[in-house]
Formats: sequence, structure tokens, C-alpha cells
Amino acid sequence: MKFTPRPLRDEVNVSREHPLKEFFLLVGGVSAVFLAVFLILGLALDYVVPHISPELEDRLGKAYVTAFDIDEERSPAEQRLQELLDRLTGSLEEPDREYRVHIIPSPEANALALPGGHIVILSGLVREADSENELTMVLGHELGHYQERDHLQGLGRGLVLVFLSTLLFGADSPLSSLTMALLGSAEMQFSQSQERRADEWGLKLLLAEYGHAGGATSFFRRMEEKEEGKELLYFFSTHPFPKKRIEAIERAVREGKHPVKEKAALHEALTGVE
Amino acid sequence: MESLLDLVIFLGLVALGYFAGSRAERRHYRSIRERERKFLTQPAVSFGKFQGQETVADARLVSGSAVISIDYFKRLLAGLRALVGGRVKSYESLLDRARREALLRMKEKAAGADAIVNLRIETTSISKGSRNRNNSVSTVEALAYGTALYRRKQA
Repeated sequence: MKFTPRPLRDEVNVSREHPLKEFFLLVGGVSAVFLAVFLILGLALDYVVPHISPELEDRLGKAYVTAFDIDEERSPAEQRLQELLDRLTGSLEEPDREYRVHIIPSPEANALALPGGHIVILSGLVREADSENELTMVLGHELGHYQERDHLQGLGRGLVLVFLSTLLFGADSPLSSLTMALLGSAEMQFSQSQERRADEWGLKLLLAEYGHAGGATSFFRRMEEKEEGKELLYFFSTHPFPKKRIEAIERAVREGKHPVKEKAALHEALTGVE
Repeated sequence: MESLLDLVIFLGLVALGYFAGSRAERRHYRSIRERERKFLTQPAVSFGKFQGQETVADARLVSGSAVISIDYFKRLLAGLRALVGGRVKSYESLLDRARREALLRMKEKAAGADAIVNLRIETTSISKGSRNRNNSVSTVEALAYGTALYRRKQA
């Protein structure tokens, strides 16, 4: 047998398809499936959430209190916020339900409504506030979330999100954070309307307490000035850009012809919170 | 805010993987094709006896191996592919390059041989057995070995 050298004509072992084409097909297909599952589970949650018993909610709340490392001992600032809160709960549908305020040290100005009536205020928010009316508005907003049972829904959606991405990519894979970011912005579309309704509650409770709408928007307005130029970042945020919220609240104040009067100064326990 | 930073880092790594990876692959294939043309007349076969070889003065074991790594983009593609199944096209070129490079290195080692017989190619995954799946670097090694036959006695 004679050896005849012949060059290979084709690359048979390597697919010719452009890798970018494969990439976009896969990303598109997988995210479509994700989004579908996420939406379906979201709808399922809307159905389930009204049926969660108060006992189960309390158990969930306890788990959160442990997870957030919340101190049982109350600081003077927490006691003062609790006083403000207790005055508001009287005008709610279920006045007997217990709500507790916790302050967690943090540079961020934010507040969370956890299951079991635990309202967590990040200390940055207390530092930013310049009157009790503003804090009342925030507390009223969080109470509004409980009235709409958003706290459980948000919790559920958050779990669905974590569950989906962890299931598919593992706990700390970069793909996980990508999905969280993408689906998080989809989630925002749900939460925007929730935030608006909670703002309506906040305004209602503020009016019931003080009889005027002073402080309803001044806090958000200061936040807006801080966030100016960061509109793009809000694509990834669960809260709507403050400007839209301010507009909605101001419209409600105008339409209801509510007076706007001087705000009440901060109690001394609330000044100098670290 | 933090997730945005994560996203930017992630996309940066994907872009780096894609551009650096495809550039390396293009250059490697160019070099592979060029050297394959050069070694075209060097017989390398998988059977043991090379027919027509009357006298063999010398025989030597020759081997060549190459280690090729994946890039971030290929890993991402394979990860996505693992969700839905199908051919892992992004890895095909890695293995192809590793095998051909190993073969070429073996032929370079056997320069001057009249034939290479009993040629075998083996592939090993270097990251196999690594505990931390996410941080290991997936890398393949291809090893090509055979017996180089010489008509004239080698020094």
C-alpha cells in the first residue's frame, strides 16, 4: 500500500454555527421560559397569599427577626417610633393586630414590612427625616403594605426569584445575579403599583393623625434630589423612581383639597440616631 | 446598585472571554493549518506494522500533548446548553484544537522519522475531581503518542 498524503478538506469536528448566534438563541429561549414560570408562580401567589393564616405569618416573622439579628431591647428612638405607629393603627381595619418597629443601623434610607407585623426602619431613614410627619408618612406607607398584604406577596416573589436562579445556576454563580437583575426589573412592574397603593395608605393615615398633609412628600423630595441623575439605576430597583411617587401623592393632596401645615419637630429621642 | 455592578462585571467578563477567546482560537487554527500542511508528507498511522517498510533501523516512542482552556464565554454557552441539552458546540473546537495540536507536537518531536505507527490519542479533563465546581478552570489535555520508525540508525 502506498501512502498518499492528502490535506483535510473540511472541519468536520467543529460546528460551523457562529457562537454569538447560539448564545442569543439560548439566552432568549431560557429567559422566555424563566419569565413564563415567574409570571405563573406570581399569579399562583396572588391566589395563595390571602389564605395564609396569621399563625404561619407569625412564624415567618420570627424567622426574619432572627435572620435580621434584631435586638429585643428597645432603644429610645424605637420607643418613640412605636408611639407614632401605635397612634396610626387605631384607624386601621384590624386595630388589634400588633405591629413592632425595629431600627437597624444602616447607611441606607429605607424601610421594610416583614411578615408578623415587624416594620424595619434602616437608621439612614431616621437621619434623613426632619420631622415626625415624615416618619409618620413612612410608617403609614409600611402599614399600607400590611393592609394590602403586599409584604407576603413580595416575600413570595422574592423567594420564587431566588429559588429559580439557585435551582438553575447554583447559589453564587454570576448567572444567578444576572437573572436576579433581569427578573428583578420585571418584578418591579408589579411592585410599582403596590408602592402607589401603600403611598395612598400612608397619606390617609397621615391625614387621620395630623389633620393636614404636611410632610407627605418632603422626605421623598429630598431623596429625589439626592438621586438626581440616577434614573437609569432605578431600572434595577424595586421602588419606583421617587419623582413619580411624589407626583401621585401631590395629586391626591390637591384633589382631596387637604391643607398643608407646619410639620411637627422630631422628638429628641429621634435626633442623633446613628 | 450592587446588582448593576455585578451585571457590569459579568458582561465585561463575557465580552473579554468572547473577544480574547475567539482571537486566540483564530490564531491557533491558522497555525495548526499551516503546520499540518508542513507535516502532510509525514505518515502517521494507527496500525502497528507499516507495510512496505523493509528494514527498520531504529524505533522510538514519541509523544506530544497540548492543554487548552475554555474561556468565560464558552463556559457561559456550555452552561446555557446544559439547561436544554444538545451538542455543546462551544467545546467542540477546544477538543479539536487540543487533538490536532498534540498530534502536531508529536510529529515535531518525531522529525525525520520515516513513519509513525501505532498512533493513539487520549484526552483528559484536568479539572476533573475538583471540589469547587464554580471556581475550577475547565481544561482539556490531549496526548498523542506513537512509535516513530527510522530506516537509518539515529544518533
